Amino acid sequence: MLRYVAGRLSWVLVILLAVCVFTYVIFFQLSPDPAVMICGKTCTPERIDTIRTSLGLDRPFLQQLGDFLRGIVAGRDYGSGANLVHCPAPCLGYSFQSGQSVWEMVLERLPVSVTVAVGAAVLWLLGGVTIGLLSGVKEGTWWDRSTMALALGGSSIPPYVLALALQYLLVVKWQVLPFPAAIPFGDDPVAWFQSYLMPWIVLAIGYACLYARMTRANVIDTLAENFMRTARAKGLGPVLILRRHALRPALTPIVTIFGMDFAGLLGGALITETVFGLNGVGKMASDAIAKNDQPVIMAVTLLAAFFVVIGNVVVDLLYTALDPRVRTTAS
Amino acid sequence: MATTTLHEAQPSLPSPPTGAAPPGGTARRVLRELRRDIGAVLSTAFLVLIVLMALFAPLIGTLAGHGPDTFDSAAVDKDLGGLPKGSLGGISGDHWLGVEPQNGRDILVRIAYGARISMLIAVSATLLTTVIGVVLGLLAGFYGRWVDQVISRLMDFLMAFPALIFMIAVLSALPAGNRPVLLVIVLSVFGWPYLARVVRGQTLTLTGREFVEAARASGAGSRALIFAEILPNLRSTIIVMTTLAVPGYIGTEAGLSFLGVGVTPPTASWGQMIANSVSWYQVDPMYFVIPGAFLFGTVLALTVVGDRLRHALDAGEAS
Amino acid sequence: MRRAVLSCAALCTAIPLTLTACSGGGPAASGQAKPTADPATGGTVHFLEKPDFSHLDPARGFDGGVNNFYRLIYRTLTTREAAGPHSDGTKIVGDLATDTGRASENNKTWTFTLKKGLFFQNGAPITSQDVKFGVERAWDPDAGIGSPYAKQVIAAPADYKGPYQSGDLDTIETPDERTIVFHLKKSYPQFSSVVAQPNFTPFPKGTGAKAAFDTKPIASGPYEVANYRRGSSLELVRNKHWKRSTDTVRAARPDSFVWTFGLDAATIDERLIAGQGKDINAVGPKVQPATIARLQTPQLKQRTLAGVTGCTTYMSLNTTKGPLRDVRVRQAIEYAVNKQTTVDALGGSALATAATSIEPPSIPGRDATDVYPSKDGTGDPEAARKLLAEAGQSKGFTLTVDARANATEQAVAVAVQQGLKRVGIKVKINTIDTSTFYEVIGTPSQQHDAALTGWCPDWPGGTTFLPPLFDGRLISDKGNSVLSMLDDKKIQKRIDEIAAMEDETAQNEAYGKLDAEIMKRAPIVPLNYSKTVLVVGTNIAGAHTSISYSGGIDLVGIGLADPKK
Repeated sequence: MLRYVAGRLSWVLVILLAVCVFTYVIFFQLSPDPAVMICGKTCTPERIDTIRTSLGLDRPFLQQLGDFLRGIVAGRDYGSGANLVHCPAPCLGYSFQSGQSVWEMVLERLPVSVTVAVGAAVLWLLGGVTIGLLSGVKEGTWWDRSTMALALGGSSIPPYVLALALQYLLVVKWQVLPFPAAIPFGDDPVAWFQSYLMPWIVLAIGYACLYARMTRANVIDTLAENFMRTARAKGLGPVLILRRHALRPALTPIVTIFGMDFAGLLGGALITETVFGLNGVGKMASDAIAKNDQPVIMAVTLLAAFFVVIGNVVVDLLYTALDPRVRTTAS
Repeated sequence: MATTTLHEAQPSLPSPPTGAAPPGGTARRVLRELRRDIGAVLSTAFLVLIVLMALFAPLIGTLAGHGPDTFDSAAVDKDLGGLPKGSLGGISGDHWLGVEPQNGRDILVRIAYGARISMLIAVSATLLTTVIGVVLGLLAGFYGRWVDQVISRLMDFLMAFPALIFMIAVLSALPAGNRPVLLVIVLSVFGWPYLARVVRGQTLTLTGREFVEAARASGAGSRALIFAEILPNLRSTIIVMTTLAVPGYIGTEAGLSFLGVGVTPPTASWGQMIANSVSWYQVDPMYFVIPGAFLFGTVLALTVVGDRLRHALDAGEAS
Repeated sequence: MRRAVLSCAALCTAIPLTLTACSGGGPAASGQAKPTADPATGGTVHFLEKPDFSHLDPARGFDGGVNNFYRLIYRTLTTREAAGPHSDGTKIVGDLATDTGRASENNKTWTFTLKKGLFFQNGAPITSQDVKFGVERAWDPDAGIGSPYAKQVIAAPADYKGPYQSGDLDTIETPDERTIVFHLKKSYPQFSSVVAQPNFTPFPKGTGAKAAFDTKPIASGPYEVANYRRGSSLELVRNKHWKRSTDTVRAARPDSFVWTFGLDAATIDERLIAGQGKDINAVGPKVQPATIARLQTPQLKQRTLAGVTGCTTYMSLNTTKGPLRDVRVRQAIEYAVNKQTTVDALGGSALATAATSIEPPSIPGRDATDVYPSKDGTGDPEAARKLLAEAGQSKGFTLTVDARANATEQAVAVAVQQGLKRVGIKVKINTIDTSTFYEVIGTPSQQHDAALTGWCPDWPGGTTFLPPLFDGRLISDKGNSVLSMLDDKKIQKRIDEIAAMEDETAQNEAYGKLDAEIMKRAPIVPLNYSKTVLVVGTNIAGAHTSISYSGGIDLVGIGLADPKK
């Protein structure tokens, strides 16, 4: 087991390194000269050279990449002489736009994205899985048909449409919620809950619809299997069967997908954060993309990849625990 | 496949049909089953309508008397920020589905031309992902060993990317060029591993089955094994995942256009129309409702067809 | 040399010039004060904004929005009057200095005397050396990226690199604590306007290295930064060392200001209209075009403010490219464009007016004559076709137009495309990422046939409008502002003659005439003059738009009607 975990973790490092190199190559080679962009409106060729030197852009590409990677592990220095700035590890560089440390920016924004992701995940797991379980057990009834029709429709609504419609109804028309704002929990727990509720709902609905459909399909499959027929033959009622025998096999695949989805969201819910003006990692990403702020784009990509890869490992480990059929030697 | 890139972040995949359908002879039965399903029939009818609209977009333009980019300043009110004159977003005998605010372009004609772009992008991306996904999935599953290692690691790598963030970043960094082509390429690069993973899994199972073993024993070469024995058995998986991929890509194209990195003006696409209409949703709801309804309807119809198809194929296998 | 940002990201948060055209039509809603009423003292004014300010360091930032903000925390030698019921907010008055300066030697040496009782936020007195140090920062290669005028006008050794690298600048003298003397490169009658630029802010000697002021500015104005989370929020509180008696410009009524950044544009409008909770004390940027139609009720009209940006939106025509080398082809384009559709693209008559001349109406001495007249500016395709035929281009050609990648700019580009289509000119829109747009069009080797952009003067008058755009001697390989590449000796000679004039009024009128002269050569197509419409919370008072800050509300006068709400 220990060897398995160690193997998986070293694979994580390889993937992250690959993502790093690939992203670096794409952005630092394809997009326009960052020195020119930092230089601003009243720019001179001399100033461009100064900036290139202080960012290390005048050095060969591989050396730059090496500096970047070393910065993440051990920190690095920018500039020289009086203008020397030390960037401690993990150093992701400084924003071209604001000059802030990218690592500090990420730390400041991450709590918002985590709040959005966790709240939405709770909602969609509770909602989606419950509806899916009920529909699976009551396959073919009016409940099943209507919830599945709703789920099909729900997963077809673009999230930004949903966000604006909800904002209009809940905030402007009925005035039951305030406009979303990134209020810290410590400031005012009630206002915190109220202002995050709508982003949670918007984000959760799409996933809940998918999860309801997947759970239902899994429940139906499981109930059709042989050991279920045996259980039923023993005279167990549907609810009892579900609880005692069907729940675990029906939900195991959900765990896999949930791990991936949730990990993906930790890297920022781009559309939801943008529409609601929540200053999370996703909003930071879309702002950075609009301004071509490469260090920030790099950081967000790496962060999101990190969460996805880690999520993958956690899912695999959970899977082995949940499903005894999967042996750690496999894969 | 990329069904949920419509939503945020990483797509999770709809569960593929379990196992493989028996080869041949089922097409007629599946069709019969679908014809009995009112949802599937309605959805198909709607899709046919959209495809016809896309194909005959210039004809619609001629009939309506407007080009997709023709301004009609008389149809909007300058003093109200360019709000369409008349009720329901300027619906009139001249403009059957109303006009766009600020410039008075005809919405029906733009919807028809937009269907071309949206469908073109979604269908091309689906075709490309299907080809790449099936080929690489088959190779990995059939040959195993180092081939499998290489392909699987490549899939791990691509699936680790935050697809949406990366797509936006790449699209905004690249020169504008031919946006639809770029969109198709970017969508495909990040989309194929989701299909390939499923195909690989099924191929692994199939390769061990008796009928493949038997064929191998009777001297069939690798090529014959793949094309004659394994591929036909993957048919239902491929059909279903493909149907479900198209709405995913339509939604993603719309999302990317919403974030400003989709097709460039004046080209009409549904996503772009919705993106522009968002701020008008209170004063001119129809501008938002009409393209929104077309997008929603198409995505829903494709999902229903995909879903029912899977159901019919699964049922066929069970019988 | 402020470039107009059509879509007004940072710029329109609040920028200056005149018209305090408050459209307070309809009956006054019960008990609701007009936003132009006098504010009471106290309370907190909230701002709902899209992007954050560019820089809090006044040597670095230079756009209408941030220039307006600077006046709350910084003071300069002179500044503009506050916009108000009886003032358009453009007149230059003394701020740190007792007056607008005394010139000698044919406007080449300028002397200013500081008022008594001036202090930084830490209680240290503000001396002439602090002013000198602040100005010197304009030469620092890192910090001096804001207003270019100090470097352009004040004499300095060619290798001077600001106080951190090169030390003192000898051409600025400080004979005593309260006197400062500037030696200029040449006569400059408008130097009183130059010292109102943000980079004439004083700072204690030796401070502000490594962009320190971008996060922790040292205030000389009535407020200081209490809390700044970049991209999220900014809070100002009173600077207790600022003395009201030394300041005739800043009313400084509220006790604090709070900015919230990163909000969605549609949501901001929604919040201001809904006016729930603290939003009654809030102000936002220019409204979205879609919001205009919602502002027609008496209650909302009551709290709507209108202003003009003082900027001209234009399309430059590169006079060195293909068919555009022929002046008749350029003139045909002048006739073919439908300026009204470009107005619609910006949001209709409330947010823009079709242009006739290069200079907008807010420029003194401007001549409104349209050299290429047409009904309401909708264009004259007939005249255009005739000119194209004369030039042998009746079959039309393809014109590549550079435009920024955002919805508003693209809408303007499509409007131009439709206009030119009428005479057979096919427009290819070349979309350029917003962050690199100026870099590309300012590099003649990368610029295409035409570019959609805009221009705002740095102070009202032809001096900062026509020469930077049409003096062919300024054409450079990078950072070029003469986008038309027009190198016309007659115009250059006239520019020199006007610059030498002593009397500012005569100078401005001469620029007005030069405008029409330039237009005969058709180097640019003036499309429209942009305007702003703002909705403010019901409790906002003292709100007057100012052309000096791109039509935004002049922040030095704003406050609350009832601070207890």
